[in-house]
Amino acid sequence: MVASAGGKGKRSRRDEEVDVVIVGAGPSGSVAAKHLSAAGFSVVTLEQGHWPDPDEFPGKRPEFELVSQKQWHPNPNYRDRERDYPINTDESHINPLMFAAVGGSTTLYAGHWTPFLPSDFRVKTLDGVADDWPFTYEDLLPYLEEVEREVGVSGLPGNPAYPPQKAFPTPPLPIGKCGMKAAEGMDKLGWHWWPGTNAIPSVPWNGLNPCVRRGTCMTGCPEGAKSTANITYWPHALKSGAKIVTGARAREIEYDDTRGVVTGVVYVDEHGREHRQRGKVVIVCGNGIGTPRLLLLSKSKTFPNGLANSSGIVGKRLMMHPFSAALGIYEDPLDGWRGPFGQLIESFEFYETDEKRGFVRGAKWGAMPGGGPLGVTSFVGSKIFSGGDAKVEDSWGKNLHDLVERRFNHCMVWGIIGEDLPEESNRVELDSELTDTSGIPAPKLIYKVSENSHNMLKFHVDRCVEACEAAGSIETHVVHQVPDTGWHLLGTCRMGDDPKTSALNQWGQAHEVPNLYILDASAFPTCGGVNPTATIMSVALRQTKHLIAARRNQKAA
Amino acid sequence: MSTGVTDEIRGTFAAIADVLIPEAEGMPSATQVGVHEDLLDRILGLRPDLREDFIRGIKSVVGEKPHAAAERLNKEDPAALGTIGLIASAGYYITPQVRELIGYPGQENRPADPDEDPEYVTNGMLQVVIDRGPIYVPTAKR
Repeated sequence: MVASAGGKGKRSRRDEEVDVVIVGAGPSGSVAAKHLSAAGFSVVTLEQGHWPDPDEFPGKRPEFELVSQKQWHPNPNYRDRERDYPINTDESHINPLMFAAVGGSTTLYAGHWTPFLPSDFRVKTLDGVADDWPFTYEDLLPYLEEVEREVGVSGLPGNPAYPPQKAFPTPPLPIGKCGMKAAEGMDKLGWHWWPGTNAIPSVPWNGLNPCVRRGTCMTGCPEGAKSTANITYWPHALKSGAKIVTGARAREIEYDDTRGVVTGVVYVDEHGREHRQRGKVVIVCGNGIGTPRLLLLSKSKTFPNGLANSSGIVGKRLMMHPFSAALGIYEDPLDGWRGPFGQLIESFEFYETDEKRGFVRGAKWGAMPGGGPLGVTSFVGSKIFSGGDAKVEDSWGKNLHDLVERRFNHCMVWGIIGEDLPEESNRVELDSELTDTSGIPAPKLIYKVSENSHNMLKFHVDRCVEACEAAGSIETHVVHQVPDTGWHLLGTCRMGDDPKTSALNQWGQAHEVPNLYILDASAFPTCGGVNPTATIMSVALRQTKHLIAARRNQKAA
Repeated sequence: MSTGVTDEIRGTFAAIADVLIPEAEGMPSATQVGVHEDLLDRILGLRPDLREDFIRGIKSVVGEKPHAAAERLNKEDPAALGTIGLIASAGYYITPQVRELIGYPGQENRPADPDEDPEYVTNGMLQVVIDRGPIYVPTAKR
């Protein structure tokens, strides 16, 4: 491959062939863009969204809770912005959540920073299910530690749920009254808990302001205090010469059947005009739905069923982390609207397999505050926790005032992220009718929550209720398998050693196309039972550094 | 901002809003803080997607007694009642009067001192967790 040797990346002219074309400027694509450009590669990133404007984030306005339920809702089907693509979810138990922007879905994430644990890379060896990863926790750790410094993670070192590692770059955020309440219950039961580790710095860091606990993390941080790649990665990437094209919707990756390589990406701009960005290497970072969608759209003589898909594995093994929650209500005021609105404390008490429980693998818990008054009367309030046969007076009238007085500022929620085992029947396909506003076929999901996941969440919900009660709750409620919780989209172009059963090798390189890489969570063989952004970014850095190191042997367009 | 809401629609909404959010428990009713006045237009301006369900629901119960109207909507058009309730409660909880009564200052900046020792450290709670030792399952490099 002809990449610039050292120094800063070359600036490219429009339509010029560049060293690397990246599709998607979310966490993984941004890691790749920064490090490749710093290593001297010319890089163009195509992003279907735009640069987020902090002034647009509603967190500083009184109506923020109201608009968070529509314009800033994480479900693109519900939000329905022009830059979103629709997703057919008629056959899916879980609705996928995402956001199109520079920084990707982290624009709206809560910033939970929970790297995969050692056992997550060895599920087959330890539990006899799914697959081992082609590398280990120990292999990934140096990249995790480097990413944590770039991201500006806040946290307290020494968590006994993890092996020892370098200290986090910024001190932990306060866990507040709500986190302390959750910790009290765990303390009484003798169960593991630890102050939450978050991608939200407590002191100024790498362009980020320190968290001021405004508590509006999930509608975009108007304080610039939540780590998103538009703040922490792109200023460096641009300085190194990387280019980003926003409003660019990738339609196809072009493949040269004669040479056996990809040659670039065709994309549609916001005016409907089609462009072609040529590149020696193509990296796809479109998330676990967008990435297989693009590969399935990219058909050729060699790959009539989608690019790099002779195995038929592209789009299959979709994992989405089904989510349940338990709510505890307490007499003490808990400042339930105060941020960070991520995890105040976390627990890995029931993370590892115990077959006596009736399922394999486990889940992480994160304690969260209850939010503002609209949150109390919706997400953690009557509507979702009271079932489908509610009468008017159950949620309204005098009972509304009682409910708000009892719950607002008095509730704590344990959220449960459970490991979702890969199944080929859970998959992403192209919809035969639905398209985005550019006329590109939309994805369709076929996804069922497995019996293992169902049993796992039931077990964990019961334990969470015990934890709420141990902390002195006067009332508890549970909600099982919430539909709008598909934040984590993983597994649809898995890595592996066998080209018959995997799309990518251990470096994220397509087995069948040597200059095609996938660096997002599509590549994950399994999904762990934790929020995946830390691992997504660490894996992206590992693969990027390998690509840089192996540049002279890289077959290119 | 004009949202084209007629007096009839506004009046019907006001009556149902007071069923959903009555004066009780020391709290004012929905109309006492004006959810049917400028606040209604403001909420519909912020969330134009709510307009269709709102107008459909309200029009279908014009002239009915408010309690009966709410019950009928709950059975026959729960989406409309949900939207009417969301509009009423969103307007209600935005008002400074209601926020003061429930003790909600709104989302506010409360910077913390990152050098302050957390309570869970000073009171020894976290040390108990540490003293129990590692709980992860170690794995060997392959």
